[in-house]
Amino acid sequence: MAVTIIYSTSQKYPLYQMGNPQLRIFRPPFFLTLVRPGKEQPPDVVQFRIPMVMTKFDVRNYVEKIYNVPVGAVRTRIQYGTNKKRNHLNQKVKRPDYKVAYVQLAQQQTFEFPDIFPKKDVKSAEGSVEEMQEKFMEDEEQRQKPDPRRGGVTEWFGL
Amino acid sequence: MAATSAGRVLTLCRQFQNAFRISTTLSAQQSTVTLTKGRSYPHRLPSTLLSSSWSCNLDLAVQCRPLHTTISRRGLEEFFDIPENWGEATVKSGAPWTAKQLRTKSNEDLHKLWYVLLKEKNMLLTIEQESKRQGQQMPSPERLKKIDRSIRRLDTVVKERENALRLLQTGQERARPGDWRKDVFGRIYWYRFREHALPWYMNRRYKRKRFYTPAFVAPHLRLRLEKYLRAKTRKQKKESENQAVLKEKFPQMQAKSQ
Repeated sequence: MAVTIIYSTSQKYPLYQMGNPQLRIFRPPFFLTLVRPGKEQPPDVVQFRIPMVMTKFDVRNYVEKIYNVPVGAVRTRIQYGTNKKRNHLNQKVKRPDYKVAYVQLAQQQTFEFPDIFPKKDVKSAEGSVEEMQEKFMEDEEQRQKPDPRRGGVTEWFGL
Repeated sequence: MAATSAGRVLTLCRQFQNAFRISTTLSAQQSTVTLTKGRSYPHRLPSTLLSSSWSCNLDLAVQCRPLHTTISRRGLEEFFDIPENWGEATVKSGAPWTAKQLRTKSNEDLHKLWYVLLKEKNMLLTIEQESKRQGQQMPSPERLKKIDRSIRRLDTVVKERENALRLLQTGQERARPGDWRKDVFGRIYWYRFREHALPWYMNRRYKRKRFYTPAFVAPHLRLRLEKYLRAKTRKQKKESENQAVLKEKFPQMQAKSQ
């Protein structure tokens, strides 16, 4: 089974008629994106952006089998991407549509979206360009600060 | 962590291929040697953990396949990078898989690698989306390209193998059956068959699609042919004129220059 994007399930998958064997997809070409929910969601809900051709059953099987996470309920919706924005040539630019899946975890598990970009205190290497630049910026900031002896009063007031 | 770090190692870094001889049947002793030989980050390949699983096989038959690493049980954490890399500006990653390397792997290994790459790509897409959300730069975005290329090459290799197998077993060149057919404009193209639930004579939409050229299209075909012949003649004339000019300039010229 190739990686080609599946535009319609009816075309690339074999036709299903009653009595046919269960369709199995080896090497699924679908990629899920875990997103931070825009609106407040219950603690056991995980929000994904999924390809348009995936269904609730697909998402359930995918998460259960590949990530070994017990799934309770799955709800999906399609988010329409705006076609209103215009570029510098006044042409309409379409933002792509995408499908969102809300996956409720089973067995009373909870999930909280972590903070992936924590502030880390980065100390530059000794004698490097970054260290000199940082020192220069610190000195500049110090010079720009007003005279502390004036007690917060601006220079506009004479004396 | 051993399994997931093994997964990550398997994903991108071909330098670590020597450490993971899953496909070849090695004795357990040899495998411990190769594991420690492989140059790796100390926290990525805890050889103690892996060697314990290898050492238990020492008592078993030497020719048996080494144990496969356990499946990761991290669950939804696999959508994110390891916590040490959160907040970093760059994350080190190795070169993508080449088709040549992938052709040496067995089918089971390729199947497993597909899922490893899939999970890695999911992780990268998650990080990318979150970085857009937070207004931060994604650390090392070139990893996405590498993963894409690896996945495409893996697919190519699998398709090659499927093609070869089908050719040997059935003699069919194509996986999807098709036929040469004429469309309404008189052009002949390769029509690929679709699966239908009804026979063609009961399929109304299929009957509306005409696989023949109606009679009134003949003038258009004539004009198209004339255009094609005119273009061909023009090209040939231009070529011969060019040759004549060159011959005048360089009388000793023999070979036809491009």
